[in-house]
Amino acid sequence: MRPLRALFIRLGAIFGKERRERELAAEMETHLQMHMEDSLRAGMSAEEARRQALIKLGGVEQTKENYRERRGLPVLENLLQDARYGMRMLRASPGFTAVAILTLALGIGANAAIFSVVNAILLRPLPYPEPQRLVRVWESSPSKGYFRNVVNPLNFLDWRDHSRSFESMAAILDLMTNLSANGEPVAVQGLQVSPQFFSILRVPPLLGRTFTSEDGVAGHHQVVILSYELWQRQFGANPQIIGQKMDVDAVPFTVIGVMPRGFSFPKTHSEVWTPLPLARTEDWKGGRYLTVVARLKPGVTLEQAREDVLNVANLAAETRPDFNKGWSAEVMPMLEDATQGVRRPLWVLLAAVGFLLLIACANVANLLLMRGTGRLREMAVRSALGAARSRIIQQLFVESLLLSLAGTAAGLLFAQLGLRSLLALIPQNAPLPRSETIVIDERVLLFTFLASLFTALIFGFVPALRLSRVDLQSALKQGSLRGGVGGHQTLRRCFVVAEVALALLLSVGAGLMLRSFSRLISVDPGFSPEHVLTMHIWTSPARYHDNLKRSQYFDRILSEIRSAPGVRAAGSTHFLPLTEKISGSCFSPADQPAPTPAESPSAQFLIISSDYFRAMGTPILKGRDFDVRDKFNSQPVAIVNHAFAERYFPGQDIFAKQLRVCWTIEKPVAIVGVVADARQAQLQQVPAPTIFLSNSQAPMYFTTLVVRATGDPRQIARSAEAAIHRVDPDQAISDIQTMETVFSDSVSSPRFQAVLLLVFAGLAVALAMIGVYGIVSYSVSQRTNEIGIRVAMGARSSDIVRLVLREALALSGIALGLGLAGSLTLSRVLQTLLFEVTPTDPVTFASVCCLVLVVSALAAVWPARRAVRVDPLVALRYE
Amino acid sequence: MGERADVWQGTLALMVLKTLQALGPLHGYGIARRIEQTSGDLLAVNYGTLYPALLKLEQEGYISSEWGTSDNNRKAKYYKLTRAGRKQLEKEAREWEQTTEILARFLAPGKESA
Repeated sequence: MRPLRALFIRLGAIFGKERRERELAAEMETHLQMHMEDSLRAGMSAEEARRQALIKLGGVEQTKENYRERRGLPVLENLLQDARYGMRMLRASPGFTAVAILTLALGIGANAAIFSVVNAILLRPLPYPEPQRLVRVWESSPSKGYFRNVVNPLNFLDWRDHSRSFESMAAILDLMTNLSANGEPVAVQGLQVSPQFFSILRVPPLLGRTFTSEDGVAGHHQVVILSYELWQRQFGANPQIIGQKMDVDAVPFTVIGVMPRGFSFPKTHSEVWTPLPLARTEDWKGGRYLTVVARLKPGVTLEQAREDVLNVANLAAETRPDFNKGWSAEVMPMLEDATQGVRRPLWVLLAAVGFLLLIACANVANLLLMRGTGRLREMAVRSALGAARSRIIQQLFVESLLLSLAGTAAGLLFAQLGLRSLLALIPQNAPLPRSETIVIDERVLLFTFLASLFTALIFGFVPALRLSRVDLQSALKQGSLRGGVGGHQTLRRCFVVAEVALALLLSVGAGLMLRSFSRLISVDPGFSPEHVLTMHIWTSPARYHDNLKRSQYFDRILSEIRSAPGVRAAGSTHFLPLTEKISGSCFSPADQPAPTPAESPSAQFLIISSDYFRAMGTPILKGRDFDVRDKFNSQPVAIVNHAFAERYFPGQDIFAKQLRVCWTIEKPVAIVGVVADARQAQLQQVPAPTIFLSNSQAPMYFTTLVVRATGDPRQIARSAEAAIHRVDPDQAISDIQTMETVFSDSVSSPRFQAVLLLVFAGLAVALAMIGVYGIVSYSVSQRTNEIGIRVAMGARSSDIVRLVLREALALSGIALGLGLAGSLTLSRVLQTLLFEVTPTDPVTFASVCCLVLVVSALAAVWPARRAVRVDPLVALRYE
Repeated sequence: MGERADVWQGTLALMVLKTLQALGPLHGYGIARRIEQTSGDLLAVNYGTLYPALLKLEQEGYISSEWGTSDNNRKAKYYKLTRAGRKQLEKEAREWEQTTEILARFLAPGKESA
């Protein structure tokens, strides 16, 4: 431990140096005096005594220097000295320093902000123990184009019981749940889960217990687990909650547990968990509607699990071909599954800010080179005085590091501010998974710090090498300041070309995204979202178990709302458009023999009420809407959309047709109307063939009310709620929002990408513009002499302007070539993110090229004006 | 004077410690002189290397220093042995004896039968 102790003392000795110096001097002096006294006593002359003493000591200064080296840590002291010197140099040119720090802060700040998003969403592991062993299992039917499809209960049971790769597997059903705690109805997201759900995730409860396998037996399943947040909000954090009864969808359940704070399952916002009883005895023709999570056994690879599940699924396809033919299964790591669809956009954004940082580096490197020209003599003097080249490089490097650290500090501040506006771009019901945890944490700080070191290395490297290789003779000679500059100029041009090329690359990306976004929002959705209010209701299965009773209930709610003031039309649908929810079912024409479910064609299905189309503003093209004639027990009817009619009954009398549908209704349904196409799952998707069934005949347990108001739809929210509560005061209502909000939220993700890329491209172009300005303006000042001569020889202003512009445009021209080549290669990664725009969209490419040329010409305007104003007399006297 | 050997690096520390043990608190010049005298003037202490050596010992905690007054009323920095220094001295002395003993056996004229 002794060497360590010594190291600390030596570190400490870096401070309080003056006192130590004084003491050292005093000690040396005493030593000399004592030596001299002895020598005098021995009879030496005073002068000789001093001489001998000095010789014996080996020179006072050398001894002191030896002593100093032992006292402190020379390497560190040199660094500190360089840092202090660097600070002085930076303070001496505040303009340069401010511009450099600001540039770096922009680059580093953008990187820190985007990296914190990438970190929170893509990199941070899922908040469960050993998360890499968690997977999702889906059904898939490549032949029908269904991937990551929800799962049939019986198929799930097969996987669970016959596969060998998993510790356990749980099914999940995502449902709204009506809770009645203290007489007050609340609608919350709930998950019905297999009892193994919590042991798969390995998260213990905060209070009480999680499910055991007995809880999964039908009849014993009336137990419920609450989220921490719900427990706080609705139950005042009552620690005695365990064992209490509460109504879950009007059935009394016992509370058995409370989960810890922040516990959630990806892509759900569930606040209560109840057991999902599944038995083989159940009717499995209920279609596909479960999701599945599982934990791999230790040591089992993803590939092994895939093969295992595939075998089981193939067996299921053989044993139940009429339902499973053409269906298979896929296994995905849970994190990959949760971040599906956002990985590419986020990596694209990170690459974009990476380019931005490179541009910033090139800009600062140029600034350093430019300033370096003014410091050539300083470097020459230093090396003439014996500074080694490595010592000069070190010193220049320390300066770069100081700049980049200052830039990082400012950049983190930018990132903090930027993140706030970034998060504002993400809507509440976030399409960006895991975005609630976006913060600047240790990992982001580490990344930023590394980025800043890397930055210093990049922008400091070339200038440091250049500057340290000074030609002493020419640099020290008076008036030959321009001697060593020629090489720098070429180098700086290269930097500017690189900057402009990168800016072009970013602009192309941003341009493509912008065009794609504007295409997207100008899509005609097939309905008009203005003036429409939507709200979701979920009925208690216990209270409205009977289909007839439920359909009457919905009808009464709708007629109450229609009579409220300010309501023009009111209807309902089980899935609201643009919320990425679709349901499908197979069907077949009733006049042909029925094929098996696996062989039937399938169509999109929606259960709607009368007046839904009127409320949404979708025109009925032929036939009629649902109306009072379509009672629960009368002839089942359907409306189909235009795409359906065209696809399956082109040129036929569709009203003569009846359909068998696999789902819900036993009797064949008669087609009574054809409605115009409207976008359903998302704006990007072309309307699929769709069958609409009547809510009066095939009611679901939940529905979304769609109310068209005469004025501002938000005004009628209160009276619509009141109307519902007049029918049933216990009915919980959720997701009250205007259709315009739904529309805008549905495009938030492409908007997010387009806006961010635009901002980054804007910054990139601005930085490149500064770069072009810098180099042109420098070369004008270098050529003052030449310009003066030209003017004296009779050159006109326009000639001079052309001279200057030519330089700027020559640089941009080279950059344009490089940038275009790069863009054509790289824009392909945007392919899947673009809507109705090709990655090589000529309009985008042409306009970006024009933009870059115009901007570089603009950047050259100021220097050009200065050049024009050159007075030949002054210029010629300049040297 | 040309015949005198310089003190080997490494042994200087041991000599300093031993000197301080024998004489108690002493200033740098005194230590140097004492080492030269003890060696019967066979050794020359380069005073320039003495002070860094003293500093190293102090940083390692084997000796401590404080300012005092010499016999001639001169302000001088006095070094004295610490408890850790005493232990270190014992340890190094033991090691040194061992080393010399081993070397002596090697150099002693052939007792072994060759």
